[in-house]
Amino acid sequence: MFSRTYYRYYGFDYKDLKRGILLVVFSKRYSFEILLTERKKEMKKTRKIFLLLLAVMLISACTAQESTPEKADVKTDLTMGYTTEPEGLDPHRTAAASTFTVTNNIYDTLVGVTPKWQIEPRLAEKWVFSDDGMEITFTLRDDVYFHNGRQMTAKDVEYSFNRLKDAESPRARDYENIVKIEVLNDYEIKFTTETLDVELLKSFVYPWAAVVPEEEAENLKTKPVGTGAFTLEEWVPQQYLILKRNDNYYGDEIKLKTVKMVLIPDATSMMAGFQVGDLDIIPLTGDQVTMVEGNENYRVLSEPMNAVQIMSLNTNNLYLSNEKVRQAMAMAINKEEVIEASMFGYGAKIGSHLPPTSPDYYDTNNIFEYNPEKAKELLKEAGYENGFEINMSLPKNYQLHVDAGQVIADQLGRIGIDVNIQLIEWGTWLSEVYGEKNFDSTVVGHTGRLDSYAFLSRYKSDSNDYISLTTGEVDELLENALHELDEGKRKEIYKDIQVILANKLPAIYLQTPHTMLVLQKNVEGMEIFPIDFYDFKEVYFTE
Amino acid sequence: MLSYILDRLKSSIVVLFVVSIITFFVLMIIPGNPAQLILGTDATPEAIAELHAAMGLDRPLYQQYLSWLLELFKLDMGKSYVYGESVTVLIARSIPVTFSISIFAMVMAVFVAFLFGMLSAIKKNSITDYFSRSIMQLGAAIPSFWIGMVLIVYFGVKYKILPVSGFIPIEQSFTGFMRSIFLPSLVLAIGEVGTLLRIVRSSMLNSLKQDYMDMAKVKGLNAGKIYIKYALRGALTAPLTIIGMQLAKLAGGTVVVETIFALPGLGRLVLTAVEHRDIVLLQGLVMFITSIVVIITLIVDIFVMFLNPRIKSFHQGE
Repeated sequence: MFSRTYYRYYGFDYKDLKRGILLVVFSKRYSFEILLTERKKEMKKTRKIFLLLLAVMLISACTAQESTPEKADVKTDLTMGYTTEPEGLDPHRTAAASTFTVTNNIYDTLVGVTPKWQIEPRLAEKWVFSDDGMEITFTLRDDVYFHNGRQMTAKDVEYSFNRLKDAESPRARDYENIVKIEVLNDYEIKFTTETLDVELLKSFVYPWAAVVPEEEAENLKTKPVGTGAFTLEEWVPQQYLILKRNDNYYGDEIKLKTVKMVLIPDATSMMAGFQVGDLDIIPLTGDQVTMVEGNENYRVLSEPMNAVQIMSLNTNNLYLSNEKVRQAMAMAINKEEVIEASMFGYGAKIGSHLPPTSPDYYDTNNIFEYNPEKAKELLKEAGYENGFEINMSLPKNYQLHVDAGQVIADQLGRIGIDVNIQLIEWGTWLSEVYGEKNFDSTVVGHTGRLDSYAFLSRYKSDSNDYISLTTGEVDELLENALHELDEGKRKEIYKDIQVILANKLPAIYLQTPHTMLVLQKNVEGMEIFPIDFYDFKEVYFTE
Repeated sequence: MLSYILDRLKSSIVVLFVVSIITFFVLMIIPGNPAQLILGTDATPEAIAELHAAMGLDRPLYQQYLSWLLELFKLDMGKSYVYGESVTVLIARSIPVTFSISIFAMVMAVFVAFLFGMLSAIKKNSITDYFSRSIMQLGAAIPSFWIGMVLIVYFGVKYKILPVSGFIPIEQSFTGFMRSIFLPSLVLAIGEVGTLLRIVRSSMLNSLKQDYMDMAKVKGLNAGKIYIKYALRGALTAPLTIIGMQLAKLAGGTVVVETIFALPGLGRLVLTAVEHRDIVLLQGLVMFITSIVVIITLIVDIFVMFLNPRIKSFHQGE
């Protein structure tokens, strides 16, 4: 249609057109040129401006930004990626782990914990128990100041624990046993418990047991004020959070000047940012390990989490109430495959409800080892030779549990148990499964306590927990553990409890997944703790 | 004409009102108690009940709705649970991000779509036409998260000419701003260009077939005038409506791109609100995004009316 004859037909001179060519990109055969003849100078101008603008936009977008790299000897500004926004920065008003990973650097607790599970002094220099073990008296440091400049005294500790125990605090239940808090003098404070709790000291380690100043309590959610090694410089929701070194910190000198935590929700983008060097530390997912392993510029930190992934069973279900059925299921599940599918192999197989990192851990893996043949036999003995059908509710926000659940469903299918997977929201999981106990089976993680009692107390027959061992075999043992002052004997009790759980199987114990971080090789001093938090106090750059 | 605009305005307000009811009640009846979700697995039932009451969730639904609506009129959408900040402030802070990538993306998409759409309509079944149609197919077929990843890997990691992720506000640095929004906008543009190109092409084809085109040719008008003034104008209605719809979609639908590029926009805010069951924030966001959609639709309708007098006269004839 657009041959030369066409132009002639409409009375154009071919040469005229040539003069009008602006867009060289398009061959002169096209009609676009026609639009740009001299008659259309006006239009040409506007188009020119538009194109120019577009070009400027493109060029400015593509030219590299001039940056002046600091030539300081050793870097002191750390950048770390994180994936989940904190739920405010008030330690007494949330249960979100994402908050505590950050706030542990801003606030201090009376005592701390080392990566090797040792309790160490923090705000308290020392502590003594009364002879009956019902009272603990802390002696506080006298050189601690809040970020607002005021000195911290025992009164602040009293205020903070009362706040932690009040109605608005999600952790109030954990501290119910503390019935009296007495300020003895400015630097001494005594806590009295109602009943003996031999693990009491450990409850002063958790990041929610932080000491806060009363005068700032109103705004802690957005303007945290503590005594910690870092102060909050800035928090821009959805973008980043900057911590600045607290120069009045009572402890050893902190090497980093600032820690910038950048929110990057997507794991692949996070890895990209790490590879170009924008980020110094990032959390690592199992599938990404191969990307960084063996690269001498990076260092991978991998430690078992202080957590267990379990397949909880509802013992009120007709089939699942049968102990033999539960045991058959335990033998039908190949935990290694589950770990491979959900954590790419970065997990440790478990047989009971304590992680291998726990000092009280006892290896129960050999009680019901993977053996599908024997599983079938057991199922036959139980009278379900032809199998049966159960539902499995999986919290879809947690890929780790969904992946594990799918593998398990497949494995159980092989011994004749049909598993219907139902993916549900975390909110639904909490209210339906955990709250209402309206489920057959589920896969979920239980995390983060230092004392084995807190980990295991849910199995008490009267705990009203969704997986409590209603037959009561562990009730007495748990009670004894709580009152046993001798550590060796206590360990024996916890061993017995673990063995009972491994046999009775109110849940099938799957694995302890690993926590993984990858660091640029010049970052030193970063460690993984038994509680889910980061500590930047000791972190430094070597170059 | 004014009566048409007024009429559209009235129906928009009704729509917004209905939306406010739906938004409120849908978010109220979804399973999961926000108080339980916030307090986690360790809280006592009493603590949950207490927080439930403190959040005002124990009042009858209609009361909650009315007080929420009342505050909404004052542009006060309450305080976000996660951030402890006013929802209005949070939304206001996210708007520049989402709007700049959406608008920049649409500028790119419109430019490419009109250029190739018109060319391929005028030269149907030519190489250009096939090329354009390939763009169409590709744009529609490639998932945005994948293309986003590829762009990050090449431009960010391999050649290091653009930042990998993050957002730089325009007032901080213009080049920084352009660099931070370029890739996300490109990804969005790729997603939208196909649809738009197809519409431009088909409308243009349709309009080229009209009798008045022959008339214009016979009259001896130059081709530029023919294509721009007559063909394009007649073909503009449908693309314009689509552009409006696409813009409206992008206002709330950039969550994937914002997640990949770690941009603090509206989509991310919605996701955070959902993840943390921040009902107050979520209500505010849904209400805001629907309002934007309604407003864009309204503006587009008015534009189209100006372009296409038939709508106007049809309405007046009613």
